[in-house]
Amino acid sequence: MGTRLLSIALALLVLTPANIAGQESRVAVIVHPERRAALSADEVAQIYLRRKRFWDDGTPIVPLNLPSQASLRTRFSRLVLQQTEPRLADYWNRLYFDGILPPATLASTEAVRRYVASDTNAIGYVPAAEVDGSVHVILYLE
Amino acid sequence: MQRGSRANSASLSRVERYLSSLLVIFVFLCTLVSPAVGADSIAQPPSSVAPIQPETLGANTPLGRFSYLAGSGLRLGKTGLTVGGFATAEVDHLENGERRGAIEDLNFLISFDPVPFVHLFTELGVESLATVERGRRGIRSNPSLDAARLYLDLGDRDALQLRVGKFRTPIGRWNLAPRDPLLWTTSEPLIVENVFDDTTTGAMLHGSVFPQGGALSYSLYGAFLPPLDAGRDEHPVRRSAGARLEWASLKGWTLGASYFASQRRNGQWNHLGGADLLWFPHRRVELSGEILFGEGTIKDGATWGMYAQGVVETLPTLYLVGRYEHFNPPGGGRDINVFDLGFAWVPLPYLRFKADYLIADHLNEFSSPGLRMSLSILF
Repeated sequence: MGTRLLSIALALLVLTPANIAGQESRVAVIVHPERRAALSADEVAQIYLRRKRFWDDGTPIVPLNLPSQASLRTRFSRLVLQQTEPRLADYWNRLYFDGILPPATLASTEAVRRYVASDTNAIGYVPAAEVDGSVHVILYLE
Repeated sequence: MQRGSRANSASLSRVERYLSSLLVIFVFLCTLVSPAVGADSIAQPPSSVAPIQPETLGANTPLGRFSYLAGSGLRLGKTGLTVGGFATAEVDHLENGERRGAIEDLNFLISFDPVPFVHLFTELGVESLATVERGRRGIRSNPSLDAARLYLDLGDRDALQLRVGKFRTPIGRWNLAPRDPLLWTTSEPLIVENVFDDTTTGAMLHGSVFPQGGALSYSLYGAFLPPLDAGRDEHPVRRSAGARLEWASLKGWTLGASYFASQRRNGQWNHLGGADLLWFPHRRVELSGEILFGEGTIKDGATWGMYAQGVVETLPTLYLVGRYEHFNPPGGGRDINVFDLGFAWVPLPYLRFKADYLIADHLNEFSSPGLRMSLSILF
């Protein structure tokens, strides 16, 4: 009886709003299911800074961003790129001078997930709670 | 005067030759690559996903969506072509009495990425568009076209890329992106302006690897083609070679080292070495500096110099800027100390207004003290 009560208490604990919110606030970095690359947060940063532009097999990496107003993008920039938006704007101006453009932007996390599911070269980020079987998670950020 | 115009026409004909080469390469790549392959390199989402590539203006065409974003250029559908550029207007009010206003630069940045492993890039500049000067009547205009850069990047690995053509000489940080919309001051440090040729026409192997915490990049280059604008250079480089190594940490600092050897028309080999640093100690503070030393320069003779620059964001979009320079000119002239103080206002990422006052410890041929202002825009 005691063991059952303990199990129920633990299950309730796992389902507390705090934990559900934790799952939602995690950011999942996703790629196509066929892409079995293992990337660290630093490598993801180099990809989103357009310094790393090729997968190991020589195909181009297509990084996808969210609109600049999206709170998830702000969070991603802070967690991975460790830079503020004005400094990033300066950085992109410098790369524009060599004809290199920032990552393409999609309207929503839904669009990012669908794009990644359809392109083996793409990489994107979405809330962990939105991940399904159509994409492969290579990294979780908290 | 006649000699100058002959040099200009020689320079122009070289530019035309290079532009013709560019056109041939462009046509060749266009015929080689189908539009469908080109589309892959531009990251166009599939039609089932609603894209909102941010744009200021846009229109659907048979070649795909033509999309213009201020400060990022015009992307021409699925062709892989992007056309953008920048323009700068300047006003000088110098202590030697010189007063002038000018539309100094109108430069176009054109890149073509037909397939992922090919990047063709050129910067075409139209200089001296319009100048108004005290003591001279009317607006003077003497526009000239200059291929400031023109190169082809080839490679499908981050660690190894080949660049062929005319490119910025990778010495220090400043010289790699020395245009007004990217800078905090209106004037260039003396060691960048007076010591080495700012471009190299030849080939370069370059690449990056990514150990934990940053990016390690290298460049190995050599000049073997005649410079595009040799007519403007009193002592053009005959042969040159150099190397640069840079560590860019994700923690907010970048450290670089450069070496450059060049042989001028007189046959003498000159050697230069230097180091540079960029550091963001705080999110509102940027510190940078370079030091360069060596024997032999554009005007021969040993030299060394350095600059240290600080930028602080005081209010949002408003930056205070200060730079100190020390320059030991080639040929044993008196050392020069220069201070440049001013501000930059960046109301939008692609718009920059700057005003700064340059102070030198004595009159010299390399720096003109006074107030300079500029307004530059990336388009």
